[in-house]
Amino acid sequence: MEYKNEKKEAPGRGKVEVLGATYEEGKPCGEETGRWRQKLRNRREQLQYLAEGERYWYGKDWFGSEKRRNPA
Amino acid sequence: MADSEKKKSIDKASLEMLEKACGDNVSLAFDRAAVMKPCPIGEVGNCCIMCSMGPCRVPLPKGRKETPEDKRKRRGVCGATAETIAARNFVRKIAAGTAAHSDHGRAVSELFLATAKGQAPGYEIRDEQKLMQVALDFGVEIGERTIEEIAVDVGNKAMAEFGRQEGELLFLKKAPLKRQEIWRKEGVAPRGIDREVVEAMHRTSAGVDQEYHNLMRQGVRASLADGWGGSMIATELQDILFGTPTPVLGQINLGVLKDNEVNIVIHGHEPLLSEMLAAAAQDKDIIKLAKEKGASGINLAGMCCTANEILMRHGIPLAGNFMQQELALVTGAVDAMVVDVQCIMESLPDIAQCYHTKLITTSAKAMMPGAMHIEFDEHKAMESAKEVLRVAIDNFPRRGTNVAIPKQKTDLIAGFSHETVNYLLGGLFRSSYRPLNDNIINGRIRGVAGVVGCNNARVGHNEAHIAMVKELIKNDVLVLQTGCSAMASAMAGLMVPEAAAKYAGAGLASVCEAVGIPPVLHMGSCVDNSRILIAATAMVKDGGLGDDISDLPVAGAGPEWMSEKAIAIGQYFVASGVYTVFGVTWPTTGSQELTDLLFKEFEDIYGAMWDFEPDAVKAANLMIAHIDKKRKALGIDKARDRVLYDMEMRRELEAV
Repeated sequence: MEYKNEKKEAPGRGKVEVLGATYEEGKPCGEETGRWRQKLRNRREQLQYLAEGERYWYGKDWFGSEKRRNPA
Repeated sequence: MADSEKKKSIDKASLEMLEKACGDNVSLAFDRAAVMKPCPIGEVGNCCIMCSMGPCRVPLPKGRKETPEDKRKRRGVCGATAETIAARNFVRKIAAGTAAHSDHGRAVSELFLATAKGQAPGYEIRDEQKLMQVALDFGVEIGERTIEEIAVDVGNKAMAEFGRQEGELLFLKKAPLKRQEIWRKEGVAPRGIDREVVEAMHRTSAGVDQEYHNLMRQGVRASLADGWGGSMIATELQDILFGTPTPVLGQINLGVLKDNEVNIVIHGHEPLLSEMLAAAAQDKDIIKLAKEKGASGINLAGMCCTANEILMRHGIPLAGNFMQQELALVTGAVDAMVVDVQCIMESLPDIAQCYHTKLITTSAKAMMPGAMHIEFDEHKAMESAKEVLRVAIDNFPRRGTNVAIPKQKTDLIAGFSHETVNYLLGGLFRSSYRPLNDNIINGRIRGVAGVVGCNNARVGHNEAHIAMVKELIKNDVLVLQTGCSAMASAMAGLMVPEAAAKYAGAGLASVCEAVGIPPVLHMGSCVDNSRILIAATAMVKDGGLGDDISDLPVAGAGPEWMSEKAIAIGQYFVASGVYTVFGVTWPTTGSQELTDLLFKEFEDIYGAMWDFEPDAVKAANLMIAHIDKKRKALGIDKARDRVLYDMEMRRELEAV
C-alpha cells in the first residue's frame, strides 16, 4: 500500500505533516469479495460451523433462552 | 410539472418518465388509478362472489352507526353475514398469497431435484454448506455420502412437504419452542402446504365454514404453510443452488439502463431463468453477436423480486420496483423485457408496442396477449437463455430515437441473509446474534422492524416506505427489508453504511459503524421474508430477550401493500408473534367483529396482532410504541446499575 502524508492543523504549531489514512476504501468490488462461505473448505468444517456458528439449531450443548424448557 | 403529478412518486427518475409518458401519450397504472376509484364495497370486504346467487353486497349504513336492525339485514342471499363474507374474502387472499409463494417454492424444488439427479445441465449445487444445513433440518443422513446423494434426498423431502397429508411441516421445528407450542395448542400447525391452501379454498366456498373465528384459524394455518413452508423452501433451496447471499455492491434505478448496450430487463420472481441469463450474458458468442449489431455489450437489469434475487447473488443492477415496470419501457431503451410470474402488469404489451421493446413471457403458467413466448425449459436452460438474449440483441438496431434514460442511480449494499448477519456480528469462529441482543438490551438499538411489501398506485410511489423507514432508523430501530420495499429504501440511499451517520439515531449509528453495516438491511425477495423469521428466531434463541418471538421488541409493516401475497406474509408475521401494521387500505373494515379479532383478540391468542394506519409516520410511531411496550415487559426500558454479588447475596440466590 502506498502511504500518503497529509497536512493538518496542530494547536500552536500551525500546519504539520502527518501520515494519512492507511485503510483501503470500503467499497466492495467483484463477485468474490465478501464471499465468506468459501472459507469453509470441507465437510468437517461445514458441519463444525453449523454446530458452533448456527448453534441455535444445530448445537448439542447450547439452547440459549430455551435451556430451561422441555422440548416442545 | 403539476403538483398532482409530483405526488405520484418521490423518485425523480420516475417523475421524469411520467412526464415522458405523458408526452408520448402512453397510459400508465398511475393514470388509471387516478381515473378508476376502488369499489368501496369490495375494498372493505363486503362483497361476496362465491356463488351465482350473488354477487351479494352487504355494506355498512352510510353516515350513521349500524343499528341491530341494520346488522340483522346485512346478509347475502344465502344468509352469510358480513363477518363470514369478510373472513372468507380475507382467507382467500391468504390462500392465494400462500399459493403464489409456494408454487415458486415447488418450481425451485423441481429444479433442485433435477439438478441433484444431473438432469438440469448448467445448474449445480453452489452452496454445499447450506445443503448440509437443510439436510440436518430434514433429517437426511450425511455421513460420507456424495453431495448428489444428499441433494436427491433433500429434494425429495422438499417435494413431499407440498403433498404432506398429516403431521407438521419440517421447518416448523426451527421456530422457538414456545411458538411451536402456541401453534399446536391453537391447532394451526400446518400439515402440508398444498393441503392448507386447498382446505382454505374449500372452507371459504359457498355453504361451508360460517364461523369467522374458525375461518381465520384456517387462514392462519395456510399463512404458516407459506412463511415456514413454501417460502422457506424456496429461500433455502435457492441458496443451495445459487449461493447463500453475502454482502454485494449494486446499483438501483432507471439510470442503470445504458445508451450503448443491449438492455434486457428481467422482471418477475423466480430466479431459475434469470440465473441462467446472467451466465449466458457472459458467453463470448453472445457478446460477439451484440457487438456485430452495434452494441458495446449486454446490460442485464432486474425488476421486482427477480431483481432482488440476482442482485443478492451477482450484484446485477436493479432497474426499479413494481411501479417502475411500465416506466422502464417508457425510457425507450429496453430492448427486451423478460417476465416469468407474479406482479407483471397486463399493460406491458401495449406500452412495449409504443416503443421497440420485445416483451417475452417464459412461464407456461403466465402468458400475455401481445407478448412473444419463449418457454423456459430447465432441462435446456442455457439454450432457453441464449434464445432470449438473441431476440434482445436482434432488436437492438430497432431502438428508435425517442430514448431518454434518467441519470438517477444509487449505490446499495445487499446480501444480508441470516447466515451473513450471524457471521458479520461475530466472525467465522464466534458467529452470533449476541452483539445485536446486547445492543438491544443496552438501548443503543431500540428494536428491530421488518418493513416489506409492494408499491401501490393508490399512494405516492415509495413515499410511505421512505417516510416509515426514516422515522424508524431516526428512532434507533434497525430495519430489515425485502421486496419492493427494500428497493425503495435503496433508491433513497438508505442501504449504504454511510446512511447510518446521516439518517440513524446516535445509538443505532454507533452500532452500524462498529459492525460496518447500513441501518437498513436488504434481505432479499418476497419469499425471503422467511429469512426475517429465522433472524427473529435467532434473536430469541440467543437469549436475554424472552423465549418467544412475541417477547422481542420487534414489529412488521407493509406500508404500500397491494398483492394478496402481502396479506399472506403479514398473517404469518402475526401468527409468528410479530405485531404488523399495514397502510393504504384494510380489507376487513366492513366487519367490526372480524377486524376486532385481527386487531385485538389475536394478541391474546398469538401474542401479536394486525394494525392499520395509512399515514406512514404515524404507523412507524405505532411500531415504536409496540417496541417500547415489549422493552418494558422485558425490563430493559431503563438502564440498570450493574450489581456485583458478594458471597452473602449469592447464598441468598442459591437458597431460592
